[in-house]
Amino acid sequence: MITRARFSALILSLAVLLAGPSPAAEDVTLLKDLTAVIMLLGMPCGQVVGAKQQAANDHIASCENGNRYRVYLNAAGRVVAQKQ
Amino acid sequence: MKNYLAAGLAVVLAAGCAGVQEAPPSEMAQSAPVLVEPALGGPSQDRAVAAGPPAAGPRQPVMAGNEAVGIEPEAGALAPQTPTSKSPSAAKAARPLVESPARVSAAPPAVVQPRKIEDPPAVARNPEPPLDVAALKARLRDTNAIGVFTKLALKNQVDDLMQQFRTHHQSGQPSVASLRQPYDMLVLKVLSVVQDNDPALARTISASREAIWGILADPEKFNSIA
Repeated sequence: MITRARFSALILSLAVLLAGPSPAAEDVTLLKDLTAVIMLLGMPCGQVVGAKQQAANDHIASCENGNRYRVYLNAAGRVVAQKQ
Repeated sequence: MKNYLAAGLAVVLAAGCAGVQEAPPSEMAQSAPVLVEPALGGPSQDRAVAAGPPAAGPRQPVMAGNEAVGIEPEAGALAPQTPTSKSPSAAKAARPLVESPARVSAAPPAVVQPRKIEDPPAVARNPEPPLDVAALKARLRDTNAIGVFTKLALKNQVDDLMQQFRTHHQSGQPSVASLRQPYDMLVLKVLSVVQDNDPALARTISASREAIWGILADPEKFNSIA
């Protein structure tokens, strides 16, 4: 017999699991975005396989070819990919 | 207990609906490559129109008069059978064979029908609607196919190209021919980032390429949008 408390906990845990986008999905979106930016700026990269956020609009992107770029928005409003 | 069950079901359903919002992009991404490939080579309408004449080509020689030559041997093949039949029943049976050449000769009007089929491609060549630059801008701004960084990077590059055109129209220094390559490259970049998740927008951009170039290259039109 499931008690009310256990049932409530089960429902809450299900809601937490199912509600909202998963972090993995957000990561994939960010990686695609960074990949497209680096490609647009003409930098050799291929696919971005990892990203680390340093600040708002400031990421370190790791490429599949081993290159690393700092992708950020500068004060002039331009997106910059700076090789690390 | 029923109240708890109802509340629990409501929470699960709400959570499920929240999760569904993330599904369409992945579905679009899976179906995108199949839909976009025709747009990259050029407007799909042009291909459809270009594909029309070859399909109609083989039919025209048949209708031009070779068709009668092709039908006569069939009639001749049927006619020699009539002299061989001597009995009345065979003569009755031969009547349809004698009539059949007339039927065969009546057949050509049915073959003429493909000419009607050739007409729709000519009707399908509607004049292109005027390019709505503002709507295209809004679609690019609102699309979920590309991320924020990508949109900003594209905007930077579009602004750079617009500045080059502005300089050209003021001083004439960079020639229009020298601006064509950067323009084409930028269009290709936009298509490459949009095509996977928003094929309709990619098709629109691809089809509008020459119209946009016409606006950029014309000083008056350029000043009207700049």
